[in-house]
Amino acid sequence: MPAEHLKGIVVLNRRNLLRGLVSGMGAAVGSPLTTENLLSAATVGPKGEVKFTPANTTPKRVIFFLQNQGFDPRTCVPEGAKRSGELNQWKLPEPIQALEPYKDRLHIINGLHGTHTSPSHSAFFGALGGYRGGDGVPPSASTIDYELSQILPETLMPHLCIGMDSIENMRSKPTIATLSASGAGQPIFMHSNPNHLYQMLYGGISSGDIRKQHEARSSVMNRIEQLAAAKGQGLPQADVQRYGQFVDGFRDVNGLRERLATVSDHLKQFAPEVDSRYTNPEYETDWHDVLLDLGVSALRSGITNTLTIGSGRGEIFGAWKGIGVEQQGHNLGHMTQPGNPIWIKIRQYNSEMLVRTMKALESVPEGNGTMMDNTLIVYTSNNADKQHTNGANWPVMLLGNLDGAFKTGCFTQLDGKRPINSLYTTLLNVAGKPCDRFNMNEKLAKKFDSGEGVLREVLA
Amino acid sequence: MSSRITSCAALMIFVLNAANLHGDTYTPGHPNGITLENFARDFLNSHCVDCHSGQDPEAGLDLEGLGPIDEVTVDVWRNVWAQVTLNEMPPPEVDPPEVVARLKFSDWIVQSLQSELSDEGGFKDPFDPAKGNFVDHDLLFGELPVGIRLVPTASPARLWRVTPQEHITRFNELINREPDFDPEKPGQRTRGDVVPTNHGGELKLYFGTDRIIKWQGGTVAYATAVKSVPVVLSTARDHGFENYPELYTVNSAEATQILGVAEDLIKYMAYGPLSIANAYQITDEPDSIADKMKGDLRGLPTSIVYGTQVKRPITPIYHLLGDAEGQRQEEVSEKLITEAVEYLFEALTFRPPSVDETATYVQIVLDSVGQLGRKDGVILGLSAIFLDRDALFRPELVEVGEPDASGRVKLQDWELGLALNHALSYLPPDETLRASIVSGEMRTREDVERELTRILGDEAIRKPRLLRFFREFFDYDLGGYICKDNRALADTGVNTGAHYRAMFDATASTDRLIEEVLRDDQDVLRRLLTTQQVVVSNSDKVYFGRRRNDDEEAASIKEANLAAKEAAEKAKAELEAWKAANPGKNPPKPKKTRTPTINHKVAEAELAGERVYARVSRRSFGAGSMKPERQLGEAPEGQRLGVLTHPTWLVSHSDAMDNHAIRRGRWVRERLLGGGIPDVPITVDAMLPDEPGKTLRERMRVTRDAYCWTCHKKMDPLGLPFEMYNHAGLYRESELGEPVDTRGEVIESGDPALDGEVADALELIGRLAENQRVEQVFVRHAFRFWMGRNETIHDRDVLQNAHRAYRDSGGSMNALLVSLLTSDAFLYRRPADESL
Repeated sequence: MPAEHLKGIVVLNRRNLLRGLVSGMGAAVGSPLTTENLLSAATVGPKGEVKFTPANTTPKRVIFFLQNQGFDPRTCVPEGAKRSGELNQWKLPEPIQALEPYKDRLHIINGLHGTHTSPSHSAFFGALGGYRGGDGVPPSASTIDYELSQILPETLMPHLCIGMDSIENMRSKPTIATLSASGAGQPIFMHSNPNHLYQMLYGGISSGDIRKQHEARSSVMNRIEQLAAAKGQGLPQADVQRYGQFVDGFRDVNGLRERLATVSDHLKQFAPEVDSRYTNPEYETDWHDVLLDLGVSALRSGITNTLTIGSGRGEIFGAWKGIGVEQQGHNLGHMTQPGNPIWIKIRQYNSEMLVRTMKALESVPEGNGTMMDNTLIVYTSNNADKQHTNGANWPVMLLGNLDGAFKTGCFTQLDGKRPINSLYTTLLNVAGKPCDRFNMNEKLAKKFDSGEGVLREVLA
Repeated sequence: MSSRITSCAALMIFVLNAANLHGDTYTPGHPNGITLENFARDFLNSHCVDCHSGQDPEAGLDLEGLGPIDEVTVDVWRNVWAQVTLNEMPPPEVDPPEVVARLKFSDWIVQSLQSELSDEGGFKDPFDPAKGNFVDHDLLFGELPVGIRLVPTASPARLWRVTPQEHITRFNELINREPDFDPEKPGQRTRGDVVPTNHGGELKLYFGTDRIIKWQGGTVAYATAVKSVPVVLSTARDHGFENYPELYTVNSAEATQILGVAEDLIKYMAYGPLSIANAYQITDEPDSIADKMKGDLRGLPTSIVYGTQVKRPITPIYHLLGDAEGQRQEEVSEKLITEAVEYLFEALTFRPPSVDETATYVQIVLDSVGQLGRKDGVILGLSAIFLDRDALFRPELVEVGEPDASGRVKLQDWELGLALNHALSYLPPDETLRASIVSGEMRTREDVERELTRILGDEAIRKPRLLRFFREFFDYDLGGYICKDNRALADTGVNTGAHYRAMFDATASTDRLIEEVLRDDQDVLRRLLTTQQVVVSNSDKVYFGRRRNDDEEAASIKEANLAAKEAAEKAKAELEAWKAANPGKNPPKPKKTRTPTINHKVAEAELAGERVYARVSRRSFGAGSMKPERQLGEAPEGQRLGVLTHPTWLVSHSDAMDNHAIRRGRWVRERLLGGGIPDVPITVDAMLPDEPGKTLRERMRVTRDAYCWTCHKKMDPLGLPFEMYNHAGLYRESELGEPVDTRGEVIESGDPALDGEVADALELIGRLAENQRVEQVFVRHAFRFWMGRNETIHDRDVLQNAHRAYRDSGGSMNALLVSLLTSDAFLYRRPADESL
């Protein structure tokens, strides 16, 4: 059920019901691979007002990368950067040094807050929802990644979530829902077994066991659809529409598979090679790497427009033995991050993933530039700045400018009085959904937000 | 089937037309032949246009020349419908329209809006559970006005999607074996009880917790390491009834997730913990695997040790896939597949499959095995059953049976048996009920009464739907989901860090209190409204306590400081004495004592009583787990009176910063007085001013504006008496340094005996609890919950009989249920698309 404080706030349009329903589950309704651009470009007028005007027809995409256990600002804010300024005057700290060549695309934001999300240990759904979360607490509203997936230029499968964890956890719980939600009480599962994810995305162009699994599953799903349709014959008129949605759901799932098959030549260009890391990983990071490959390939191939990556899957555990971090789990969160070799390694690993993602997107021409030109990566933590935190500071890094909408190459120090919701509000506005607030009513805003509307400091 | 429906519809139309043609009588719900021009325009002109026309129409609404219902006028007509149906318009000072004319006008709007909005799913307001009270109470319990002709009642034929609670219970039954009912410890979770939400309020299914004998770490580590899946089917429940068939379907995201969960469940049914753990983790001697459990494994599935004793149900799935002797071969026995299909189908749909259904699913399994081999093929093939229509929807389609003279068809056999079963239980029909269904003894009213009486009389047969009704009627189970501002919460006097868990604990306690009242089954509603009894856990000493005023708080702090000072002086004196007695020796180190934390803000309540148990999550989650032990005590006299004064209800009807007097008042208006509240006009910015130095009552002055007060007079004066509690539910006598104002008033209740001012919530509740209309409204809500629809005037007899049964039995819930569930509204379905 919606949390009391969320009622009536940002009731976002769904372009169509079914499309919303299937998001995040690897199923979507029929459409061409991409459609017209619904984006707007944001500009600040002479009086400081923010205007949104229709932009070009290029597709857009957003990636959320959430590392668990907190994002200590001292691991990303350059030494000496006490006030906002151009990044080119500073050297990036060791944990994110891999981003040094990409400084002109980077925006480090320090001083957002999430005190209302109860982020100690993890805000879980609240990290991307901007509301109170907690261990075992169901989502009280939709999350920003889901909402963006619904308003960004349409793709076959608008939203994909992947989660990285210890190998044991990824095997025993290959899907888990802790970060994303399509509404109150409606969690979206993230995928952690790359074999399953590959089958879902590229089963139609695969071979061997994956192909067999894909075909068997397709066959069963087709039979389920037929059975569901047969049992819908002769229903009372009042139930026809409601039950029809159930049957249509299978048609959508099966239809997606068929549509993916029709663009198989296109997909072949982007599908990663399946190697032994899929079937016989030496470390969990083998799966982390191939999961990222799959996620990025879904963006490059145009299957999806929103990718959510949960490193540590939104919880307070996780493992990175493959990069030499022998300790795993909760203790990692109890460590001080700055200067800690373990956390330097994990953050470096994240940064390398970000670089890999940017390079992969740069390699695909789009419009007058590349895919990366029309992409925004939001890197942060589901845990604010550290594991045991009140959320008074919630550092964020943005990479890319989403076709010129966001400011880059800079460090911004905020005063700690605007919530992460304000960043999400900004994303929604830029993506073409005007709103003053995201998941925060006026009553709470009076207490938790010193401003209203977009976060001007991040806009170009 | 379709031809039979057509003939039923034709019969019904004939009956209704005959009825409407019979003299000047009108059959409500059937405005046949009424149009804007031949009736509705005259109604508007006679009763509305005088005020709603001209240069300055009332409320800015000009109804003169209002066009027919179309996409431009639809909102205006919707509003007109609400006002006229609720008897809000015309206002009392002008001549009211005849009852029949009002009904005709209202029905015509509904019919026209349904037609106009057919592409958008139709006009749903009359079927919204929150608008059940739009049917005038007096039309149901008063004298039937002249000129109205009633037809025999029935509920529509329909598909009823299973609830999230039912669905997760079905899954839980597949892999977990819950303990049998223990009459010595009623309230402990047993087989058939609802799967409780976890410590965070999430409804989740856990795998293998009955075999876990050791793990590393605390609450969070355990919860992370254990295999679990959240409930898949969703509801949009906020307040009120959630389970009308009209409301829900299963979308593709849910279907896809169910398929994934199905595979996990089948694997666990076959292999048990081996499907989620390594073989070495299954041992009764955890020390023997110490070498494998080294290091920090917290949060990992490998941190868990499972006992060797098999606890899960052993089913044909195990025999088909598991490691039973002789089952290791690769070939697949069609006989075993058939047994597995038949078992799983009935476990998921609660009825045996037909021959065709069995053949279909066996073939799906065989085909999958052909493609993937035995193990993967069986798992994938069997998972299809989880998406069978009847595993997700319960049909009441009356495909068997002949229509009676009015076109109704009686439920029978499996449909009737499952309808009765669903009324009370989340488990499949027990053996006796199943035998009745199979032997053809579930076809008559007497059959239903026989089985119902048996089930109601057996405490060991759990009836979670009964408790669910009270949760949805009272809405006391939402407290843990109300997001609180930490500072505002701290000011109430409660421990902010433990508040949400305390709320889930308290919800389980209120559940238990209700079950205690239901156990006696006398004066049920009145007792729930007025009992001094409380079921409590330790934290309730604070929640049922009294918030001290500033002076008392200061005095408490002073007293504590003085006591601490005296203790320190005493310790010092004792030390000096010891030194004097033991010259030259080092005094022993003082014993470390933990300074007790004193909550100066609260005078804690004395609640001790006998030991009882409440239903909480199955397994200990370490220090953070909820414990079943409770006490059945008495609330402080003069401060509390029944469930509406318990923290669970009060917090459920609060917001982040304060009480929610409007929501509380609305609850009283709707659930006890039977009044209806129209939707907030979209032009209204429903916000109270943010004035930190002012009380809620003072800030609610804005609702006194004439435009708002028309509706708010029905709510605010009923909610403000609850200002005697703060927004965490603690009793208080002052607010912002002044005596708290707890006055209220019952206005236009429909029963003059109820109307008038009240001093506080206790007086309000006391007055309402003794009233017959309140009982009748309670019966109306019970009708809605168990029939899955709003009542109509044609349900008059059913409602009156149910109320009589309740009253004549001294307030027995069982008597009320027997009356409702043997009524025509429960037994009959109308296959045609008639909206009576």
